[in-house]
Amino acid sequence: MIKISNLEKIYRTEDVETVALNKLSFEVKDGEFVAVMGPSGCGKSTLLNILGLLDDPDSGSFLFNGIEVAGFNERKRADLRKRNIGFVFQSFNLIDELTVFENVELPLIYTGVKAAERKKIVEDVLDKMVIMHRRNHYPQQLSGGQQQRVAVARAVVNNPKLILADEPTGNLDSSNGNEVMQLLTDLNEQGTTIVMVTHSEHDARYSHRIIRMLDGQTVMQDLMV
Amino acid sequence: MLFNNLKIAWRTLVKNKFFSVLNILGLAIGMACFLLIALYVTDELSYDRFHKKADRIYRINSDILFGGNSMSLAVTSDMMGSTIKKDYPEVEEFTRVYNSNGSRLVKKGNDFLQELGVAYADSTFFDIFSYEPVAGDLHTALNEPNTVVISESAAMKYFSSLDVVGKNLETDDNNGTIYKVTAVIRDMPKRSHFRFDFIFSMDNLNYGFGDFLSHNFATFLLLKPGSSAASLEKKFPEYVNRYIFPMLQQTMQVKTIADLEKSGSKLEYSLMPLTDIHLHSARVAELGINSDIRYVYIFLAVAVFILLIACINFMNLSTARSANRAREVGIRKVLGTTYHTLIRQFLTESTLISFLSLLIAIVIAALVLPLFNDIAGKEISLANFFQPLFLVSMLALPFVIGLLAGTYPAFFLSSFKPITVLKGKLSGGAKKSNLRSTLVVLQFSMAIILIVGTIVVYRQLAYIQQKKLGFSKEQVMVINNTQVMGDGTRAFKNELLRLPGVKAVSSGGYLPVAGSSRNDNTFSKEAVMDMKNGFNMQVWGVDENYIPLLGMEIKQGRNFSKEFVSDSMAIIINETTADMLGYDDPVGKKIYKSQSNSQAEMLAYTIIGVVKNFHFESLKQKIGPLCMRLRNADWSIAVKMDATNVQNLVKQVEQKYAAHAAGFPFGYSFLDASFNNMYKAESKAGKLAFSFAVLAILIACLGLFGLAAYMAEQRNKEIGVRKVLGASVNQIMVLLSMDFLKLVAISACLAFPLSWIVMNKWLEDFAFRINIGWWVFLVAGLLAALIALVTVGFQALKAALNNPVKSIRTE
Ligand SMILES: Nc1ncnc2c1ncn2[C@@H]1O[C@H](COP(=O)(O)OP(=O)(O)OP(=O)(O)O)[C@@H](O)[C@H]1O
Ligand SMILES: [Mg+2]
Repeated sequence: MIKISNLEKIYRTEDVETVALNKLSFEVKDGEFVAVMGPSGCGKSTLLNILGLLDDPDSGSFLFNGIEVAGFNERKRADLRKRNIGFVFQSFNLIDELTVFENVELPLIYTGVKAAERKKIVEDVLDKMVIMHRRNHYPQQLSGGQQQRVAVARAVVNNPKLILADEPTGNLDSSNGNEVMQLLTDLNEQGTTIVMVTHSEHDARYSHRIIRMLDGQTVMQDLMV
Repeated sequence: MLFNNLKIAWRTLVKNKFFSVLNILGLAIGMACFLLIALYVTDELSYDRFHKKADRIYRINSDILFGGNSMSLAVTSDMMGSTIKKDYPEVEEFTRVYNSNGSRLVKKGNDFLQELGVAYADSTFFDIFSYEPVAGDLHTALNEPNTVVISESAAMKYFSSLDVVGKNLETDDNNGTIYKVTAVIRDMPKRSHFRFDFIFSMDNLNYGFGDFLSHNFATFLLLKPGSSAASLEKKFPEYVNRYIFPMLQQTMQVKTIADLEKSGSKLEYSLMPLTDIHLHSARVAELGINSDIRYVYIFLAVAVFILLIACINFMNLSTARSANRAREVGIRKVLGTTYHTLIRQFLTESTLISFLSLLIAIVIAALVLPLFNDIAGKEISLANFFQPLFLVSMLALPFVIGLLAGTYPAFFLSSFKPITVLKGKLSGGAKKSNLRSTLVVLQFSMAIILIVGTIVVYRQLAYIQQKKLGFSKEQVMVINNTQVMGDGTRAFKNELLRLPGVKAVSSGGYLPVAGSSRNDNTFSKEAVMDMKNGFNMQVWGVDENYIPLLGMEIKQGRNFSKEFVSDSMAIIINETTADMLGYDDPVGKKIYKSQSNSQAEMLAYTIIGVVKNFHFESLKQKIGPLCMRLRNADWSIAVKMDATNVQNLVKQVEQKYAAHAAGFPFGYSFLDASFNNMYKAESKAGKLAFSFAVLAILIACLGLFGLAAYMAEQRNKEIGVRKVLGASVNQIMVLLSMDFLKLVAISACLAFPLSWIVMNKWLEDFAFRINIGWWVFLVAGLLAALIALVTVGFQALKAALNNPVKSIRTE
């Protein structure tokens, strides 16, 4: 599904040049659940943004489903992204002005699904995430765990092949965190590929494989059993 | 404390440069408009107030309804003033002013110069009105015949000296009259409804005095202190009964006043306070061109509109920004600052902003003052800013605006609860606010009303321009003062005809533009006049070239002709008259007019033709009855040109004129220019409405621009999330713009009916007017939407193009 080689990303500000990704290479197969770990500032989020087609690498190759996407323009990336990739963030990133239902509905609107069909899909997903009873609430009215469940629902509503999660449990207590990890595991078992950034060894254990990074490079990859 | 507040306020200003600049600029433009309009309005309201007895001076107005024609006059008979004074003790003094259509020739050296500011007045003129004497005794100046009081300017013009009491001036009246200058006054103030440079003794006026029925004199009464104009006015019917009705009984076959009123005729006199004349009087035979109180109201409304729009900007931007300042408020409160202290802090800030705005506003107002004067037709000087009263009000302005614009934001910001704010949770109020939306709606409603107003005024003016007038005003030159040629006019006309570029020449004494001579008279359909068949009608003297020269159309019958000797008693009527007479074929029928002296003997005129109706007054008036007679009206001569080099032609005409009227001033005008002059007030209003509409929109846009910037900033993260989820740039733009467009749509719904009502009211003034089509509203609405879109769109695009990675960074 994903094959990156010699990926480089350098942030240039007026006086400093930060090498966020330094000739990074690895592969993620279809159906895999990969955890990315490493100290703060080692480039995990940068990597995830590039994998999520939100950002462009400075050099290197990025094959997505066998297609070279490094160098795609914004429009092409957006198109590929909205059909194939779902995101889960540490800070949920729900839109405060929209209800639970409307938040989850958004990706479907942007892929042009008809209203009647949207309603069915969204209700299905909310059911699955056990958040249906809160469908008309606003994000501020939910607990952190509930908010993250909504965020996961929104990430999967389009049936993406790949879910990218950046510290999805970072803002949650352990029981809420476990609930979200369980959701991700379930999705993975249904065939969705997942790449998750985490600081928690506990969460990493839900994955098949851990990629450990240091200063923009992979230092090791341990297989989980 | 105050200093500390100011210091913090200043820092806040500097820290938020973008918003500060928007705020100050918007307020400054708003205040500049306000200042200019305030100057305009104070100027308009101050007319004639310089007279020391202004509050006791009244002018007699006459309202006459006769034979279906109504006339509102600013003049009355030569007898009324003295009669009223004699009969009613509350009248202390009266004076009459006769202004022979403004023009007199006065001799300087060997040449005559045309003077426009001339009048004849009773010797009491200077006892009633207060003018500053430079030389001579005003109290006695006009006591004798052949005396004149002149202005400083006139003295300098004719004698190059102010010490001219006792010197002589020769004028053209009665073929040359010598007047002795008995006093010199300072030029009459500009804020006066009449302004004269020459005031001649009434004794020299060549007039059939003693006539209660002819209304030709502006008559002013000075009431005794404490007496009431209203109660004096109530006694005027008594005067009509006693002096006028007996005369009517003779001429018209009426027995009682009731008969007269039953037949629909009326003669009514009323008193108008001197200080009301400039803004409230638009009668026939005014002594000068008056203004209109409605324009004062309109401009006041506009000034308040614009100031409100600017204040709303301030409120909107401040409350919108409150999200950013919430933390500051929270921390201050935690540290023990009280609610009141905070409010004072915020009010200091808004007052500081309005004060800075005022400074800029004064500069702007000073810079555009000449332009404003030009458009508004005023001569307001910078010095007017510094009249004590104006200065005080001007300095009060920032405090008023500071309070007006600052109070709501101050309370809004000060009421944040520190705990919620510091936790980072903000009530929705800071982000979305119904009040803010309401205010934007208000702004745009006002802007749309101004746009509609501008379009309607311009459309009406354009309509006037292209309206079929029934005559052609193009390429017609009018030469004035040709009466001085005496019999030479005939030769002069022939010479003009021979000039290349001249197509036709005719007498031009009566022309279909305001300001030209008028002459109305009473006619009757039958040989014996009674109340029913009598009617008033314009009688114009023309020659046989007049109708073709002006491109008028003969509908029935024929034009005058030299070949018919009988044409001396022939008459051509307009369609209105034909309709009034009601004959199937009026040609050949007779109408009658009493001879000036004996009403027994009636003159019979034969109708030889009907001329298609043409507009001979402003389009504000209906086309009244009019007839033409073959008579010499050669004090002006009309020339139809077909010239490419008009200047050259004018020069040639001037040479011919000089040959026949040596020493007399050559004066000419073009008919189309005189025509446009009739709509000066409207075109002035149009230009002002346009300028203020543009400014109102500009200010509203400044606010919208800031608001959009702020909203985009607030929704930065949301936009990022939406983009991550696949929203395109277009979708984001629509999302951000829609909110504002909705507001514009609501504004339109409010503004349309309102502007429809207001503009129809304005149009009612015109007998001939456009319909406000639906498209006017469509255009105004679209224009407002477009402007809002462009303003918001820039910010929306900026936000939409942002890289989402930046806005959703979790750190
Ligand atoms: N927009 C940017 N401009 C400049 N430097 C950046 C930018 N974004 C990230 N960096 C730098 O690139 C490096 C990698 O950042 P990144 O956010 O990928 O780290 P991370 O591994 O996700 O850290 P954390 O665990 O704290 O989230 C850091 O040194 C960071 O300071
Ligand atoms: Mg990170």
